[in-house]
Amino acid sequence: MSLYQWLLFLHVTGAFFLIGGIVVAGILNLAAIGADRPSKVATLYGLVRYVVPLIGVGLLLTLAIGLWLVHDVGYSYGAGWIVAAIVLWVIASALGNIDGRYQRKTGELASRIASEGDAPNAELRARLRNPVALAISYGSGLMAFAVLAIMIWKPGA
Amino acid sequence: MILALIRPGSWNLPLFLHVLGATLTFGATVTVALLGFAGLRAETTHAMFLRRLLFRIGLIVLLPAWILMRAAAQWIDSKEYPHGHEPGWVGVGFLVTDIGAILVLVLLILAWLSSRRETSRVAAVVPWLASVYVVALGVAWFAMAGKPG
Repeated sequence: MSLYQWLLFLHVTGAFFLIGGIVVAGILNLAAIGADRPSKVATLYGLVRYVVPLIGVGLLLTLAIGLWLVHDVGYSYGAGWIVAAIVLWVIASALGNIDGRYQRKTGELASRIASEGDAPNAELRARLRNPVALAISYGSGLMAFAVLAIMIWKPGA
Repeated sequence: MILALIRPGSWNLPLFLHVLGATLTFGATVTVALLGFAGLRAETTHAMFLRRLLFRIGLIVLLPAWILMRAAAQWIDSKEYPHGHEPGWVGVGFLVTDIGAILVLVLLILAWLSSRRETSRVAAVVPWLASVYVVALGVAWFAMAGKPG
């Protein structure tokens, strides 16, 4: 296999790790909103931590190998579709980081309430259904899918 | 995610849907594996909650994602190789998805059975089946992206 083929494989692997990890976190988040007990919320949020390294490696591979591919293929770093993809990648990463910290605190709250009797709790419910947090969370995920679309259509290339 | 250098514009939509379906299939399969392994360690009430959730995700997310991936693969294959004679890496992709169909169906049946009984032995099989499929998907994306040979 040529260098280009290896780079493309690693780049696509990064995309699978990143988007796959986002899908896992999104599904578990949605399931947590519907959970009837704080202990179940804590269990589901506890599972999200297993995909955080997957998302991290995915972010690194998509950007680093992507930039290497731009050089290897001979695209311009200033091409509109490449700039748009990088900007969306940065915004998605920043929103994902904010979302990750929010979710970690929600998981800690759920664990604490679970250890104190595991009764339904208004504060936990409010955090799980916080519309701003949900917009940040799903906005971050949608941006990753938008980057995928840009990579395939390459508008202006 | 620079997916290919030069291709006709009419291939973009099926390729996007194929990659979208594949990433959703990967994410849903990892979720199923995680829930399955967590269910094996949890106490009874939580184990049943996790098993039922696993079955619902398998049915509502994994199965439609797999169908999207496979249908879009057929669509782009008909555009790229209208007269057949596909290279080996395409065959690897179809082999993994088609064997994967059997695996996903078996997984769903076992997940449904394990979601109905607290003392179900098949519950232990489900996350391992999902893990095998995750590895198989990795082989497929190596073939699809690297196009060896």
